[in-house]
Amino acid sequence: MTRRIALLAGTLLMASLTWAQAPATPAPAPAPAAPAAAPAPAPVMITDQEIKNTPTPSADAKAKGDPDGSLTGNVSDIVVADSKKGVTVEDALNQIGQNRVAINFVWTLITGFLVMFMQAGFAIVETGLCRAKNANHTMMMNFMVYGTGLLAYWLIGFAIQMGGVGALGTLGSTPVLNGEFAMKLFGKDFGLWGQNGLFLMHKGTYDVAVMVLFLFQMVFMDTALTIVTGTAAERWKYAAFILSSFVMGAFTYPLFANWAWGGGWLANLGGNFNLGHGYADFAGSGVVHAVGGITALAMGILIGPRIGKYDRSGKANVLLGHDIVLVLLGCFILAFGWFGFNPGSTLAASGNGALRIGSVAVNTMLAGMTGSFGAMLYMWLRYGKPDASMSGNGLLAGLVAITAPSGFVNPVGSAIIGLIAGVLVCVSVEFVDRVMRVDDPVGAISVHGANGLWGVISVGLFADGKSNYGGSWNGVNGNVTGLFYGDAGQLVAQLIGVCTLVGFVFTFSFVANWIIDVLVGQRVGAKAELEGLDMPEMGALGYPEFELKASAARM
Amino acid sequence: MAIAGLIVTLLGFIIALASVGMSSSVGGRMVIVLIGLVVSLVGIIGLVNPAFQKKAVWKK
Repeated sequence: MTRRIALLAGTLLMASLTWAQAPATPAPAPAPAAPAAAPAPAPVMITDQEIKNTPTPSADAKAKGDPDGSLTGNVSDIVVADSKKGVTVEDALNQIGQNRVAINFVWTLITGFLVMFMQAGFAIVETGLCRAKNANHTMMMNFMVYGTGLLAYWLIGFAIQMGGVGALGTLGSTPVLNGEFAMKLFGKDFGLWGQNGLFLMHKGTYDVAVMVLFLFQMVFMDTALTIVTGTAAERWKYAAFILSSFVMGAFTYPLFANWAWGGGWLANLGGNFNLGHGYADFAGSGVVHAVGGITALAMGILIGPRIGKYDRSGKANVLLGHDIVLVLLGCFILAFGWFGFNPGSTLAASGNGALRIGSVAVNTMLAGMTGSFGAMLYMWLRYGKPDASMSGNGLLAGLVAITAPSGFVNPVGSAIIGLIAGVLVCVSVEFVDRVMRVDDPVGAISVHGANGLWGVISVGLFADGKSNYGGSWNGVNGNVTGLFYGDAGQLVAQLIGVCTLVGFVFTFSFVANWIIDVLVGQRVGAKAELEGLDMPEMGALGYPEFELKASAARM
Repeated sequence: MAIAGLIVTLLGFIIALASVGMSSSVGGRMVIVLIGLVVSLVGIIGLVNPAFQKKAVWKK
């Protein structure tokens, strides 16, 4: 075989695999006068024969073990297509390409597993903030929202969300997800929902890259669903919860997620209407948290406050949760899971600017920290004590707010975003509780709704134009840049996203849950609520020993 | 009143969506979008929520 390939070209294979999102190279600034440049090195050629001649560790050397790791992983580990030919240049290049995709697969899967574990954090935060008499019911909602959401998303939701996303280069392409339904509006295509991927079998979607994408997107969807259980806790009829969660996993979440991440109309506001890079939501302040928080607001209004939350004059009473230890432990678990949520949203660790995962992770840490400080200081100054549950909510608020901008902002920006979120969550809790009189036992509307919206807006303010994920975001060349760095159009795109969440998602969620209310009733009876939902709804107490103590006390 | 509130809430979204067709300037679009946001918030806070507060459990 006379085939010869330049080694230089081979080592640059990564760059060649960045698909159509190759960055628009900015015009270089005029270079200052320099001494005569050295001549460019001639390309180094490599042949199949040279690869075959590459020395490998001897069997004797390997027989002694490899304590320092210097012998493990070499040319003999390259997978060959034809054992008679041995290793060829083609084999080596294929191995490089597959290694890149494998790195991205493993990264995306592991970060998805971290996000899945956030369900445990949500479960104990919500249960800790509820009263002991509802512990079993609250835990079961958080437990079964995982299965209910997964079922709905597998059957319908994933196809609606990602069925028309097109090829994702970081996962080795997903060309089968190419069925976006769109309508013409203002002379442009408005993508509304995807059509491929029902049951993960439909139209060739039984595909390794689609599976990775499904897993990662599924755990995000479940995060949104579990937000609602916190607001409706202590009075939500279990059957209604199952129906409501199914509808949200199948339709509410996937619709907005399609518009933002699946190639829908919000993502294309940049390409179609010259509004920055279109709606930019790196990891889901809007898609996940605001959708969950706004749906929680709809549910909170619809289902009404718990008995005893307000007195006859409308004054709010505090119904204390039963375990602050669980609450703060849950917050830590959520903060840990957020390292999957945000950095994992690159869907890559190799190529396409994915090395910003370090920056994304640090931004996440910083915003969580300033969020908890903001809330703690606010409560300390206003009420005289550094409230533990609100400090925890401040941490979560900072994390929620940084979720959308985490991939686009610098550390100072992320610290400011988190600090504002920490204060905002306290102010919002007071507003929802005392002005709107919407009973939210865990503060989910404020943590996820208000701060999800703040996170979306903050992209349009603080994005510094330094991130570059393969040269374009939402198909618009260049870097996402906010108002403070010169692009007001990006802020408008973000605000349109906010209006969609507040105007469309709220209405959709409200109507869907109203229908469920008419069909099966959303709220338990007063007797069951006063007794606690563990026995009437679940048939078992969360803490049987508590009942024994109460019985003994009565005797 | 709850249904009227939902209609107003949705109207705010439609106003924001229409901004891309109603104006070509960034400033004009921003103003229209902010109007849409206010309309939606009025729908939720001013209409839907009060409609459901009328039959709140603490008023019984």
